[in-house]
Amino acid sequence: MADFQFGYALFLLLTVAIGLVRVGRGPTAGDRMLAAQLFGTSGVAILLLLGRAMQQPALWDVALVFAVLAAVTAVAFVQRVAGRAESKPEGGADGS
Amino acid sequence: MAPDDWLTLVCLLAAAPFFLAGSIGLLRFPDLYCRLHALTKADNIGLGLVVLALLWQVTSWSEALKLLLIWLLVLLAGATVAHLIARNALRQGQKPWERP
Amino acid sequence: MPTADLERTPPWSWREASTRLAFLTGLWLLLTGADAGSWVIGGPAVLLATLLSLRLRSPVAWRWRPAGLLRFVPYFLWHSLRGGLDVTRRALHPRLPIAPALVYHTLRLPPGPSRVFLANTINLLPGTLSAELQDSRLTVHMLDAALVNVMELQRLETRVADLFAVSLE
Repeated sequence: MADFQFGYALFLLLTVAIGLVRVGRGPTAGDRMLAAQLFGTSGVAILLLLGRAMQQPALWDVALVFAVLAAVTAVAFVQRVAGRAESKPEGGADGS
Repeated sequence: MAPDDWLTLVCLLAAAPFFLAGSIGLLRFPDLYCRLHALTKADNIGLGLVVLALLWQVTSWSEALKLLLIWLLVLLAGATVAHLIARNALRQGQKPWERP
Repeated sequence: MPTADLERTPPWSWREASTRLAFLTGLWLLLTGADAGSWVIGGPAVLLATLLSLRLRSPVAWRWRPAGLLRFVPYFLWHSLRGGLDVTRRALHPRLPIAPALVYHTLRLPPGPSRVFLANTINLLPGTLSAELQDSRLTVHMLDAALVNVMELQRLETRVADLFAVSLE
């Protein structure tokens, strides 16, 4: 069972790598932020599987932190971009 | 293999297409909005099935609750992140792709 | 919708404070596996989190119904599974069958947390992504314009209203 879980974690790592191609290509900053989403789901799944297969319960706590961090990262991203748009009025934010 | 291990195996195999589709969708879909659909919906179901797979293996209630808590957090974070990224793109004036 | 009509949150009560304290204590127990030594940090952390959560309460009064939650969970799980299947099929289909469009939906839910909850929930349902929530207007990105299904959005609103014990307009 543990062998299968290791193999499966490797498969998930492959899907993350495929997703990272998009993060590398962009083209927009939002496309790059998808990395946070990718690690927030596939990354958490990998950690859960490894935690089980390696009998390392602490990895589940790491997964929990990943899940929370994904949200914080996105909020920070939006704050930063919104702050920029404000300092540059012609930057496209439609007065909302 | 014990019956629980079979159930774990089945859930993990069922999760695989969702993770794959999330990443393939990221590459194939034409704009950010569509990519958010792919990643948010497909990967969350994939993770839900991985959590279900591991639920057959847990040895205590607190482990099971912790797994469910992690999934709930990811659902919450994923839905919020998707909304924030989409809203940000819309406010910056990115027009959604339309089929020509 | 005049916001002046909204019910303000009453000042916190001891009952509310103890509910929150109990909830956060349970969360700590769950995360640490009831390790007795962890309370050196857990005790102050739980206490501070309770005080902080009382300070940061929503300015709009709101409640939820446990029975509404019991009805909502299976509905949500089933439709988010449908959402996952739908987008998986489209992403893997050789012809990529999507025809995206923005649609505008006027919410019947009252202002407050129920609207935010709805906007988050539809992100996991088939073909819908909330892109903007302004007052009662929700901008939704649809993966397939042919799927635009007002009935489905209205059904979801009814469910959310049931969960938050509010009435629709």
